[in-house]
Amino acid sequence: MLTHIISFAAAATGLGPGLAIGIGGGLGAVGAGVGIGFIFGKVIEAVTRQPEMRDEITSIQWLGFALTEACFFYGLVAGLIGYVLK
Amino acid sequence: MSRTRKLGYAIAAFYLVGVVLLAVLFGVTQHKNTVFQIQNEFKLTSWVHLGVLSINRAVLYLFLAAICTVVTMVYIARRMQTRPNRVQTAVEVIYGLMRDNIAHGNMSDEMAAKWFPFIGALFLFIWYSNLIGYLPLPTNSEETFNVFGAHIPSFALYAATANVSVPLILALVVFLSFNIEGVRAHGPLGYLKSLIPAGVKGPMLLLIFPLELVSTFMRLISLTVRLFANILAGHMIILFMAGGLAVILGLQFLGWFTMPAGVAIYLFELGLIATLQAFIFATLSAIYLGTAVSHH
Repeated sequence: MLTHIISFAAAATGLGPGLAIGIGGGLGAVGAGVGIGFIFGKVIEAVTRQPEMRDEITSIQWLGFALTEACFFYGLVAGLIGYVLK
Repeated sequence: MSRTRKLGYAIAAFYLVGVVLLAVLFGVTQHKNTVFQIQNEFKLTSWVHLGVLSINRAVLYLFLAAICTVVTMVYIARRMQTRPNRVQTAVEVIYGLMRDNIAHGNMSDEMAAKWFPFIGALFLFIWYSNLIGYLPLPTNSEETFNVFGAHIPSFALYAATANVSVPLILALVVFLSFNIEGVRAHGPLGYLKSLIPAGVKGPMLLLIFPLELVSTFMRLISLTVRLFANILAGHMIILFMAGGLAVILGLQFLGWFTMPAGVAIYLFELGLIATLQAFIFATLSAIYLGTAVSHH
């Protein structure tokens, strides 16, 4: 019911494409921000516990960072698809 | 006050004075312009028309990346000395990274020995493709400039990986590779069975198996979109921050205001994202190849 109202309002006011990119990018950024912050926080904790493991943990850290960052881009691409499809 | 602090204050003052001066001289009213189209920055105009195989700037960049890859490995390898110079040391470090960290770290030893050339070439090709994208080369045929009567394409930043076809083809090759390796190791039915986690029986199979199939195809999509969107978004942010936004909105002071952000994003992309995305692509390819043949 709520989604019907929102989609009708978006189509009526012509806001649809802009809303698509905005929601896609915005929500994607929220998820990616939380995930990346979590990863680096855990790396800080782990290196504090065992400083000698720093290099190995850093290598895993970059892998995790890129995978999490990718989720933001999935959201952005979904928003762009919505923009193009109106 | 120390010299560095004075220098910092001088730069900040220069920046603020510039913004205020431009705002005062040219005003703050928007003049929306439609002449500058963002899409044209990523447009591919054919230089040599050969139908599907036309030579355009993306093809040129692919050739450049391929030449760099081959030169790095073959040319340097032919000139190896017992006491390495700096270039050889750098290449050896990269080789060590590819072999030990990416290939042997994620696949069994026999798979790593078989697939290391592929993973290594993938890493180097994507890395060079990304890096060359931050080098201004004269490839923009839309805006040519005049040098002694010859129309030279103007300098532009463009990366081959910013076009969705290049990451798509690379991801397709990886997708086919790990599926074929999986079928070769387990047999076709065995490979499908290996997708299901251990201990799942009965009605749960009906839920789990389609999900696992979709997630296998999702690997293809995610490899493509990750590389493509990272590089494309980076180029677009540099474009917008370093003057694109000011041109589109017609606000002169905005160009001065956003320029430091453009430089910062350029350095961030060049220093981190280019290498990281190549590393991620190669590592994930190695992981997919490794897990496709592993016996749980």
